[in-house]
Amino acid sequence: MALKERPKPFLLPDFCKGCGRCLDACAKDCITLSDQINPVTGLVPVELDLTDCNACGMCMDACPEPYGLRPAHEGEIQDFELEDPAKLFGVKPSEAPEPVDIPNETLPLPRTEPLVIKGTYASAVGAILAGCRHVYGYPITPSTEGAELMAKFLPKLDGTFIQAVSEVAAVNMMYGTAGAGLPTMTFTSSPGFSLMLEGVSYMIGAELPGVFVDIMRGGPGLGNIAPEQSDIKLACHGLGHGNTQAIVLAPSTPQEMLDLTILAFDLSFKYRNPVVLLGDGYLGQMTGKVQLPETMLKPGIPKWAVYGDAMHRKNLISSIFLTEADLEAHNHHLNAKYAAMQVEARSESFLCDDAEVVLIACNTPARAAKGAVQDLRNQGIKAGLFRPITLWPFPVENLKAALKGASRMVVVEASAGQLEDEIRLALSKAGVRDFPEIESVRRMGGVLPQQNEIITRVLGRKEVLA
Amino acid sequence: MSKASVIYDKFERHSHGQGLKGHATHYCPGCGHGLAHKYLAEAIDNLGIQDRTVAVSPVGCSVFLYYYFDVGNTQAAHGRAPAVALGHKFANPESVVISYQGDGDLASIGLAETIATAQLGAPITVIFVNNAIYGMTGGQMAPTTLMGQTSSTSPSGRDQYNGQPMKMAEIIAGLDGPVYVERVALFDAKQRIKAKKAIQKALKLQMEGRGYSFIEVLAECPTHLKMSPEETEKWVKECMEPVYPLGVKKDITVEPWFKRNAPMFKGEKILSLTGATTVHPERFCREFPKELDLHDVSLKLAGSGGDGAQTAAMLIARAAISEGFDATHIPSYGPESRGGTSYADVHVAETEVLNPGSPDPLILLAFNTPSLTKFGPAVRKGGYVIYDSSVVTEAPVLDPSIKVFGVPFTGIATDLGKAVVKNIVALGALQAATNIFPRETFLSAIRVALKDKCALIPLNEEAFAWGIKSVEALEQ
Repeated sequence: MALKERPKPFLLPDFCKGCGRCLDACAKDCITLSDQINPVTGLVPVELDLTDCNACGMCMDACPEPYGLRPAHEGEIQDFELEDPAKLFGVKPSEAPEPVDIPNETLPLPRTEPLVIKGTYASAVGAILAGCRHVYGYPITPSTEGAELMAKFLPKLDGTFIQAVSEVAAVNMMYGTAGAGLPTMTFTSSPGFSLMLEGVSYMIGAELPGVFVDIMRGGPGLGNIAPEQSDIKLACHGLGHGNTQAIVLAPSTPQEMLDLTILAFDLSFKYRNPVVLLGDGYLGQMTGKVQLPETMLKPGIPKWAVYGDAMHRKNLISSIFLTEADLEAHNHHLNAKYAAMQVEARSESFLCDDAEVVLIACNTPARAAKGAVQDLRNQGIKAGLFRPITLWPFPVENLKAALKGASRMVVVEASAGQLEDEIRLALSKAGVRDFPEIESVRRMGGVLPQQNEIITRVLGRKEVLA
Repeated sequence: MSKASVIYDKFERHSHGQGLKGHATHYCPGCGHGLAHKYLAEAIDNLGIQDRTVAVSPVGCSVFLYYYFDVGNTQAAHGRAPAVALGHKFANPESVVISYQGDGDLASIGLAETIATAQLGAPITVIFVNNAIYGMTGGQMAPTTLMGQTSSTSPSGRDQYNGQPMKMAEIIAGLDGPVYVERVALFDAKQRIKAKKAIQKALKLQMEGRGYSFIEVLAECPTHLKMSPEETEKWVKECMEPVYPLGVKKDITVEPWFKRNAPMFKGEKILSLTGATTVHPERFCREFPKELDLHDVSLKLAGSGGDGAQTAAMLIARAAISEGFDATHIPSYGPESRGGTSYADVHVAETEVLNPGSPDPLILLAFNTPSLTKFGPAVRKGGYVIYDSSVVTEAPVLDPSIKVFGVPFTGIATDLGKAVVKNIVALGALQAATNIFPRETFLSAIRVALKDKCALIPLNEEAFAWGIKSVEALEQ
């Protein structure tokens, strides 16, 4: 085989920015800076005089532009000059294949006796059954046991648990794994969740799934490690910068910590959006009866993922839309998703059908409220409990039904009114103007409303009315 | 075509590929990024890893790396690219993950992620483009800006009050995690050849699973240095290089170690980890202890850390659930890691525990005087108080309807040779005093809890029996 002649450089002036790196690179001084401004680019390109060119190639190595100085054999150059650049460089941006979904598999599990485990453990087990094998976290009381259990279990399942340098790093590891199309989660608590919000906004912008279990504690600031419903506002209306929303789940038992964690993974992939599971410190630590489901999931890979293989090569995970029109369109797309999420609103109504006094509570305070309802019923008072299970979207239609016969509405919460604000906003957006005056039982700082306080509030008001 | 095949034929993502933007980068004339991109692209081509590559682009001028590279692309938040890269690497250990970052991204806002990822040592490749200035935001001081160098936020030149330049290659090389760290430059043909080689070597080390690699590229930013491209090359050589000496900073031979199995999805393995069983437990209760409470019995166990209150509480909850009832246990501790207060609220309900807190328990199990003093008065009328008479010397004065049992938990346990079983003595006393569940229910729960420490079962059974005997003696 004859040695092929080495190619000499060729340049379309439109693709030269005139940086001049090639000038020094050429030992034969074939290249000079033009004295003409290129009318297309407004830049001054270089000019080639290849009379002395020995095709050493150093100029092409020095050229930073992919379509700048390029090799061409003698005969080709003239052809190139006549070509339209689009044809010259190809019109197809990539030959990467069109990715398709690799579906999840549902695998059966035998029916087992209930476990007796704490809420954070239940959530961790739920995540494992939902197919999550990648957990990133930073220790923070009172959520740490979840991460500890993952650190223990995941290596035995050939999964990954990494204790990140901070919550900021943890959420970005989630961003990477979620970008690869796999289920991922973290356990955190209020101050840690604050720190993760930058990443949550990016995940929402880039449309990435992921589950955030926030075992809420007393705030603001370092606050304390006791239970508070301190992050309702943050989760429902403050997930970082920009137009962000996520489904917010509020379990009230260890069983729901498991069930709703599994649901959270499902919803986060369904909508390609993070899901927040808000527990309180009590619920995280509380041990109770937990029945495992009879199926588990082996996740596939969605077609949009950047898995790092041939099938997914053409994909991009990004939240940048540089042109205003593109970003506005993206926000319309996100809004359409948020609107579609409204069907996920869930709640429990306990003895609300004939209730005159409707208590509204979520998480552990809902259990105290449930106890209070039973007690009040025993005393002949028609009380009921409305418990939102999704805080966003708020189950306002169910609330309207629960309030049908109610003359009183008592919001029971471990916060300064964050749940009440959600209720007011939901009722207002739903156009409900006529509802009972909202009364409240509120505790803060790590104190949960107790059953007897709720009863006193309900009875106290009754006495006043009488 | 000399263009690396990993560079797109057309830059569709660059202003939708319109006009010149379809084939030109967004970089200014003389910018170092173009060359760094080029050498990275060539290395990917040479190693044949286009399909496996995930490029993580940062915030900064190279944010649009994904315009050009026909590989899997992810765009990260400012400074977080290494963390994102780790997320990708662990999701697919076969992938080749590149974190491409500028100086503001890597050496300022992302310093924690940079250092922690390097020290973790998992095989990813970091390409660090250091041009001593913030480009995209418009010429502000970078962590790598030289002393005396002016920028829009160090208008009189960087001085001591702005701190000193960060020498990242040296810092990274000082860590244990990385296997290969080199600083290269682009200002002449010789340096460019070294830069190419270094980038390729860094990727190869990752491909082979040997570890983390870091290439710092001294690059030109003529726009914000307010110089011509040629002057900038000279500036990098004459001003930057003395501060940031070129060369290999670390290069150690490590056998390939990063080998990870595919995640496992075996139901039986998961069930065995969680301790779930298909074996139906034997039941001993004929009905819910209605003589205590119709639907829901509330208990409080209180002591200090080490008394075993939480274990006892857990055993009560497990015993209840094995009998088909519902139960909850909420622990609460003082801030001390050891030896502080340790309280447990337990509920046992016939069908569903409505309220799991026990502010006014029916049954109090107190392991010391402060606990008894604190919670004794909260016990409901007609309730039960069982306390450790070995440590509580004075019997409490409580409502006369409350049945009070002083049992020497500690004394009995010490006589048995192991003080730690005092909580089991307490459970025996609880059983005898309240008859909440049959004895066998507790014994079964104890045996299950000790299934991995069978040798301890006889001692615990004896402790339980002594608790019962002590209450029976009191009742006689």
